[in-house]
Amino acid sequence: MNLSLEKQLNLLDYTLASLRRRKLKNLGIMIVFAAVIFLVASFQFLTASLTATAQDLLAEAPEIVVQKLSAGRQEALPLSYLARLQGVYGIRTIAPRIWGYYFSETSGANFTVLAVDPALMPKGDRLFQALDGQLPVGQGEVVLGSGVAADLNLAGRRSFSLFRPDLTLKPLRVVGSFKSDTDLLTSDLIFTTPDEARDLFTIAADHCTDLCVYVANPREISTIAKKISALLPGTRVLTRPQISQTYRVVFGWRSGFASICLLTALAAFIILAWDKASGLSAEEKREIAILKVLGWQTGDILLLRCWESLTVAGLAWLLGCTAAYLHVFLLGGELFKPVLLGWSVIHPPLRLLPTVAASDLLLIFTMSVVPYLAATVIPAWRAAIIPPDAAIR
Amino acid sequence: MRPSLVLALFLLAFGILDSALLWQSGQRRAAWPARMAPAGIATAAMGLTDLCLATEARYTRHPAVSDPMAPFMDHPGSLEHFPTGSFWACPVDRQRGGKP
Repeated sequence: MNLSLEKQLNLLDYTLASLRRRKLKNLGIMIVFAAVIFLVASFQFLTASLTATAQDLLAEAPEIVVQKLSAGRQEALPLSYLARLQGVYGIRTIAPRIWGYYFSETSGANFTVLAVDPALMPKGDRLFQALDGQLPVGQGEVVLGSGVAADLNLAGRRSFSLFRPDLTLKPLRVVGSFKSDTDLLTSDLIFTTPDEARDLFTIAADHCTDLCVYVANPREISTIAKKISALLPGTRVLTRPQISQTYRVVFGWRSGFASICLLTALAAFIILAWDKASGLSAEEKREIAILKVLGWQTGDILLLRCWESLTVAGLAWLLGCTAAYLHVFLLGGELFKPVLLGWSVIHPPLRLLPTVAASDLLLIFTMSVVPYLAATVIPAWRAAIIPPDAAIR
Repeated sequence: MRPSLVLALFLLAFGILDSALLWQSGQRRAAWPARMAPAGIATAAMGLTDLCLATEARYTRHPAVSDPMAPFMDHPGSLEHFPTGSFWACPVDRQRGGKP
């Protein structure tokens, strides 16, 4: 065997034996380190996966959404705005939507009630492929998301009622349900016809909640949005790229919980690094001195320390990252769910697009293993350059 | 047995486990477009703008189309009290407010 390789293997053997001698301490450090890496990696995997899932599922979100604002809040938009937009060159279709929230007093759940004419929407003629049953067309007909159906606990019944704002009952009939593969979008959805939604929310017949605008040339989205904004003062105009941008931001490192995770991880790491950097124990110093008396060079001792730190930190990284993958993609991020979902009564199972980039793994490695190596090798070098007789005394 | 061999076997076991996870991830990614086709249709046909993850507050149910500063604008002196607010970053976008 190559002499250099044999030397490294012997050093590694000695390192492992040395780690085993102080197994309680080293195992403790490794477990804490792995737990910190697990937290950071879990969060990184979860946010990356949520962002990728959002980008993928919302790729066909409305090109432009027009909302009316009053005193800084959204309010119903008059349908007369449609006529004012007819003259804007480049607009292909405008679809008025009615949507809002319904709070269920019995369960504390929030439903999203949505109504739009599918004939005006892209792929509207294929909407039936996203549901089991039929589309709502008649009076009181609705299609339910799986979360709503479970919350209402209809037990085979097809009829139920919701309260209008004046507390009169609005009878509804279930004619379909969204497929489970759409849960991540439709779990809390009650889809109905615009007339029925107006009746439920008591919205005037000549008003809607917002407008979905589709343009002939997607490259002109921004230009047409500016024209709409100029034509309809007091409105908020959102574009598809902005919607996409929102999802890149909300799950980013800037979010509150991420900061807490990172701060915790950082604090734990600083304590660990400080402990290592504050100097070796008398026993460790004596061990180094004996090794030097036996003929070991300073470089050999540094290599020994390098192997020791690399073994502890590398194993912790491997353990932490593997556990994080299992946690996020096989267990649905159970640890983060309480914070991610809060007090939500309706929440779909997290079926996310597995997204693990090499850059993420490298980032976690650089943030954890490299500083640990530095923090442990420097004090070892300090001890290694002390004369052996002084260290033994 | 040499300790370094024990470590090598341990790393090999981890390598096999991680390779299996990577393979499973690839399989799931490959099956994703077909599995999520109905979701794409639902998005286009109903004009959906947001994922249904947290349904407790409108700014976490529909962060893309709700007021960007809603957590503090429910009433004067309002405090953010929904737990999800601590996980989700406020979608601050200076280009909003009618100036896309």
